[in-house]
Amino acid sequence: MKSKNDVHPDSKLAEIIINHPYIILMLEHFEISLPVQDLSISQICEKYSINKALFIAFTNLYCNKKGIPPLKLTADDALTITRFLATSHRYYSEQIYPEITQLIEQMSLQNNHREMKLVSVFFADYFKEVTAHFDYENQIFHPYVDCLVARDKGTAHKENYMDYSVSQYQDHHDDIEIKLTDLKNLLIKYLPVHNDQLIRRKLLFLLSEVEFDLNIHSKIEELILIPLAIELENKNKVVGK
Amino acid sequence: MKHTHIIILDDAPVIREGLKSILDSLRNVHEVTTVSTFDELTHLLKHKDYQMVLINPHYLHSHQNQLQQLRSQHSNIKWIGVQYTVFPEELIGKLDGMVDVFDNQDTLFAKLNKWLDDNPNETSQNKESLTARETDVLRLLAMGKSNKEIADELKISTNTVITHRKNISQKTGIKSVSGLTIYAVTQNLISLDDY
Repeated sequence: MKSKNDVHPDSKLAEIIINHPYIILMLEHFEISLPVQDLSISQICEKYSINKALFIAFTNLYCNKKGIPPLKLTADDALTITRFLATSHRYYSEQIYPEITQLIEQMSLQNNHREMKLVSVFFADYFKEVTAHFDYENQIFHPYVDCLVARDKGTAHKENYMDYSVSQYQDHHDDIEIKLTDLKNLLIKYLPVHNDQLIRRKLLFLLSEVEFDLNIHSKIEELILIPLAIELENKNKVVGK
Repeated sequence: MKHTHIIILDDAPVIREGLKSILDSLRNVHEVTTVSTFDELTHLLKHKDYQMVLINPHYLHSHQNQLQQLRSQHSNIKWIGVQYTVFPEELIGKLDGMVDVFDNQDTLFAKLNKWLDDNPNETSQNKESLTARETDVLRLLAMGKSNKEIADELKISTNTVITHRKNISQKTGIKSVSGLTIYAVTQNLISLDDY
């Protein structure tokens, strides 16, 4: 039986956003901007050419609903997903991580405890690691998925990726949320406060926002994109590979 | 250090007595009792408080209902299987953990200590504070030493170092070495000169 809180094609997007404001991040990653008027999920999906089932699955993730129903996805959906993930990468690298860096710098100016220097270095190192992770996906894995889609459609693709496979990506795919959670724990439990309560709160809110989004980002990669890419890989095995 | 009472239930005397002689040397174990039948186990549990039962998993099969009843009556006891042959997953899944007869002494102790420490009745304060050994491991880790180097320095096995590291992360909520280093500085375990 459908419950009132279930997300369905006729649900008004605005109503969902009111209760789950992080959906705004999801919309940005789909390159959908506010206002959304009174549009239903069906209407939005039609306007932006997005598979409804996929949009509802993502919406449920952003509404904290656990589990992803079995999805019947196509090669076109793979492109929607890689575009969504690439836009998310820009949100992390160009918006939120620089903001976090700035707040940590401000915090170091206010708080002269010796540990603060280590926190700046800690986050700068993390930022470098995560940038390498995103670069790998943007430059290698996502173009590989594009290539799988081209193979599926029988169209040409500039690269043939004969020596690459999804399993190589799986080996390479590490957990990038650990250090964010570490930083939250340090700020909440251990780092001494000194004139920095306000900055610390802002920093914790930003860290929670990015941690929430990254968590869903990983689920989309691991539970939706990777299985779909493997399906496309198996369906269109290149002879001789 | 708190004292622990353990029962070993196995019908093979070699396993029973072998395990007992190893566990007797464990520092915080106060008393190890061995029994060879399920009835003896039930009888003992009625009369005294025990913290752990090491059990041959085949009893799970032969005494399924009785075991379930005992577990609900003694919810604070950790039930640990002793593995010396392959048991089906659904059987051993009913226990709190498994030790292997091929585990070396350090691994065995590390596993048992983890289950004995993992007591929900303890206050969060106790759970948070690191033991002296964990502090030693953390200090060396924060100084950039590898698991192997830490094991050599503290004269323990690499597996034990890994178990300590897991416990440290569980208690502090911090998993990365660089995060733990900052934690170590906040707790004055290392100075910035060491870093």
